[in-house]
Amino acid sequence: MNLLDIRNLSIELIGQKHDILAVDRVSLTMKEGEVRGLVGESGSGKSLLAQAIIGVLDESRWRVHADRFHWRGQDLLRLPIEERKAIISKDVAMIFQEPIACLDPTTTIGEQLEEAVPESMLYGFFWQKRQQRKKAVIKLLHRVGIKQHTMCINSYPHQLTEALCQRVMIAIALARRPILLIADEPTAAMESTNQGQIFRLLASLNQLKNMSILLISHDLENVTHWTHTITVMYSGQFVEAGTTKQIFTKPYHPYTQALLDSSPKANMHLPAKARLMTLPGSIPILQHLPIGCRLGPRCPRAQKQCVNAPKVKNYHGHQVSCHFSLKDLY
Amino acid sequence: MAKLLEVSNLSKAYKLPGYFFNRKICNALEPLSFNLQAYKTLAVVGEMGSGKSTLAKLLVGAEKPTTGKIKLNGQTLEAGNFGQRCQHIRMIFQDSGTTLNPSLTIKQILDETVKLNTDLDTMERIQLIRATLQKVGLLPDHMNFYPHMLSGGQKQRVSLARAIILEPQVVILDEALAALDPSLRSQMINLLLDLQEQMGLAFVLISHNLGIVRHFSDEMMVLYHGQVIEYGDTQTILKAPKHKYTQKLILSQSFQDKALSN
Repeated sequence: MNLLDIRNLSIELIGQKHDILAVDRVSLTMKEGEVRGLVGESGSGKSLLAQAIIGVLDESRWRVHADRFHWRGQDLLRLPIEERKAIISKDVAMIFQEPIACLDPTTTIGEQLEEAVPESMLYGFFWQKRQQRKKAVIKLLHRVGIKQHTMCINSYPHQLTEALCQRVMIAIALARRPILLIADEPTAAMESTNQGQIFRLLASLNQLKNMSILLISHDLENVTHWTHTITVMYSGQFVEAGTTKQIFTKPYHPYTQALLDSSPKANMHLPAKARLMTLPGSIPILQHLPIGCRLGPRCPRAQKQCVNAPKVKNYHGHQVSCHFSLKDLY
Repeated sequence: MAKLLEVSNLSKAYKLPGYFFNRKICNALEPLSFNLQAYKTLAVVGEMGSGKSTLAKLLVGAEKPTTGKIKLNGQTLEAGNFGQRCQHIRMIFQDSGTTLNPSLTIKQILDETVKLNTDLDTMERIQLIRATLQKVGLLPDHMNFYPHMLSGGQKQRVSLARAIILEPQVVILDEALAALDPSLRSQMINLLLDLQEQMGLAFVLISHNLGIVRHFSDEMMVLYHGQVIEYGDTQTILKAPKHKYTQKLILSQSFQDKALSN
């Protein structure tokens, strides 16, 4: 059974004159124990999608609707808001970029971790509970690979390095033993050696605890090594989804192809200082979105038909949303 | 070819606060020397606190070096003589959006630079701004825009325009490509390479993305705790790194290539 099954999710920003469709019919499925990469440039709606999954979008400003929004077989959008929150807070956890900014600078790491340990895991009188809480914190820190727990518990966020802070964030996220972890650019603005540490930790959690991870990133080349499947988005529209290998060896969508071609790391055969392939133009802003396929004005393969939004086509689990996909070229 | 930028024995030490007897000194940058020619790019690689930003600040003149000399075309650059320095060495920062004054239009932002450094009259200045905007791939209409009306890639182009408007010889890119989206980043790399060819610029590229370093630079320097641990031709270093730290750095980024190849 699918863990998360979202079909045709749309998110609208309610405006004064007219509404803006920020995310346009995006589908996303996650199986248990899967690491899925969600890749898109800025303004692609990937963070909005994550916020819609955990249900923190303000209802007075955003309108969310979907054909199907199933969490382990339960339709979340049809549940009352309290029940939905209870399910999500029990099973889903999220970590963010810039861990130092996410932690409370005025309290110690230990206190913040204790706060995250759920009451339901403790039993006995209050002094017993206090002991258990302390033990649970140490256990959490060990689980994310921090061995010097006393030092870490007594320090404030600014005293730790960025990678350590991100580990603490992951520890807080793990406190409720979530089934799905949403990592919203966990390593942005981090150094490559630290990035490796965090990704390795996430990968080991995935393998040992069978935790599913939705890894959100703006850079395709960064997440390839760690994901099983990848979903690509552009400007709020679904572009392509498939296994990592499919996306890399045979991208069907011109946008994915362009992303791969534009990365200097993926094109080691190019001589140094050669020109890189790029898409012309820049990412459209929300107020001026093109109609139909939003890649249209920048797409090298665009034709007249592209003013109508393409339907998603499925070739053996490799989904692509393009009228003129590159499938025939292979 | 003649040496454009000649740096010899440059170092920087910060005094930490302390009492008379236990005064401490933090060596941000140990003495280093390098040469840079026109049309060439030097990449500086290192982790946080390795002194790569200190090096950039010293080159651009924002900090006074403790020891050492910076020579440009054989002429020594004095610390504090900004009129001399800022025409020849210019810098682009990581987050271009925050370096542009939000209350000025693009024209005013660029005009400020020209006004302070040249004695052109108003018409000539506007001509120069128009030509520079075209050079970086923007329209002359963008002159009357405010920074918030531009997208991230366009803002980066404006800060590039501000850097090259005085026709400098050296441009320092302090993580200038890191915060950009991949498709804009490759556009920017192409633009920088074109400008290098047209104007004979020398770049000092500070980056931690080895893919870009490999593609972009001719020589590279690896800094570690303020010390130069490797300096030489980029291809040779990336193929056969000698120091342990360089090997670790390359290893931490090369698994991505493996993922791509299989």
